[in-house]
Amino acid sequence: MNRSFLHGRRSSRASASARERKSKNLYLVLLTIAIAIATCGKAFAADLKAPKQATAGEGITITAGDGGELLLFGPGGASKRKVSAGDVQIAGEDVRAAGRYVAVLDQATAEFYVTAAKPSTVNFLARPSRVPVSRPDAISGVAFVFDDFQNLVLKPTPVKFDLTVKENAPTTRTVESKEGIAFTRLPSASKEGAAQFVASVGGGTPVRRVVQQVASDACNLRMKAQKTDKSIIVETDPIKDCSGNAVPDGTIVTFIEVTDKGRSTVDARIKRGTARAELPLASSGTISVASGVVTGNELHLGGGQ
Amino acid sequence: MKNWLPIVLLALLTLVYAADRNSGPAVELNASAAQPRQVEDVTEKAITRDYANAWKVMETALSENRTDQLGSGFAGVAQDKLEKRIEGQRASNLKVRIVDHGHKLDAIFYSPEGSALQVRDTAQLEIEYLNGNSVVHREQVTQKYLALLTVGEDRWKVRVLEEEPKS
Repeated sequence: MNRSFLHGRRSSRASASARERKSKNLYLVLLTIAIAIATCGKAFAADLKAPKQATAGEGITITAGDGGELLLFGPGGASKRKVSAGDVQIAGEDVRAAGRYVAVLDQATAEFYVTAAKPSTVNFLARPSRVPVSRPDAISGVAFVFDDFQNLVLKPTPVKFDLTVKENAPTTRTVESKEGIAFTRLPSASKEGAAQFVASVGGGTPVRRVVQQVASDACNLRMKAQKTDKSIIVETDPIKDCSGNAVPDGTIVTFIEVTDKGRSTVDARIKRGTARAELPLASSGTISVASGVVTGNELHLGGGQ
Repeated sequence: MKNWLPIVLLALLTLVYAADRNSGPAVELNASAAQPRQVEDVTEKAITRDYANAWKVMETALSENRTDQLGSGFAGVAQDKLEKRIEGQRASNLKVRIVDHGHKLDAIFYSPEGSALQVRDTAQLEIEYLNGNSVVHREQVTQKYLALLTVGEDRWKVRVLEEEPKS
């Protein structure tokens, strides 16, 4: 009797502890589920999805897991807006600048890059503004390719360079841009005048620069001298370069007279195509003429000349 | 007199250090691959100095929502975009704080007449995004930039500064 009583007490104690274990396990399972639901909910609420890349000026859609305040930081602006869960439309005007954008909503963030739209214009550097004729690779043109929103277009783009002097046929080069830049070197023409240097991209507005092509160095520089009572007047023939272009007025021509009394140097500017100077009177000696690195004829004084 | 010497030296060192700190983030330039013209030593030094200054100016402008100093480091398109960005930040009470850990520049293009230089910059940055005064997001990034600098009145200025997508 006592044994069975004891046995009965033991078995009821064992079943109580089993029940306790069961309820403990149930509690743990429920707790785990609750935590999982909370975590999932949080993760879902914190979810923010954006496309990896977008094109400048074209709207994009960001998907928000929950409503709240969406902050958008970009290279050309920053904005704040209230949004509801679901798709959020970002207008094209908010993503005009190329670069990295960061969207923040509560604890969630998403990043995306905006790349330049199609090329539409160039910024054009043409150098030099004045150049002597008939020089190889004397003119350089650098074009920076931009889209409508002033973003540098990094995709290779053909850029056309045209150099035209007066009625002559243009010299044309098409160069593909690299990292948004295209450059070329062109020879100057053989005829002087204002050259139109134009750079353009397909469908875009051409950009024009003027490069003044001037006569090169003097060629066959010749002078004559005339003795007066007080001095010797020297004057050059019309000064032209080897292509027959008149060397511009203002170019310096140097006359040097060497006599037994010493040396006299006069720098004269070309005026109406010729240069003229007055040198000290001497009965003997030599007179030479030069312009830049070009030397002309030499005259010998003496013998009553 | 001799006793003062270490103090004077220490003070000078502190001044030099402070001046260095004020000149902006660390910038290294590798100009060996520049085309079609070689970058002169003097230009290399000027670019390094002026690019660092531009970043310092930009970082201050973005964290304080000020545009008044931008002209000393930026010109043209880059300046316009930064001004718009700061205008947007100001209107929305947002700010960006950058802790700059340095820039490695690789010169890509140096124009034949020497007035424009393009570089690729690999920047190590710690960026904090602020809504009002609270930081809403903080990140550490290695970001590539493509920058175009042109000669201004007395210095090089950043004319284009664009982040490049991660490859």
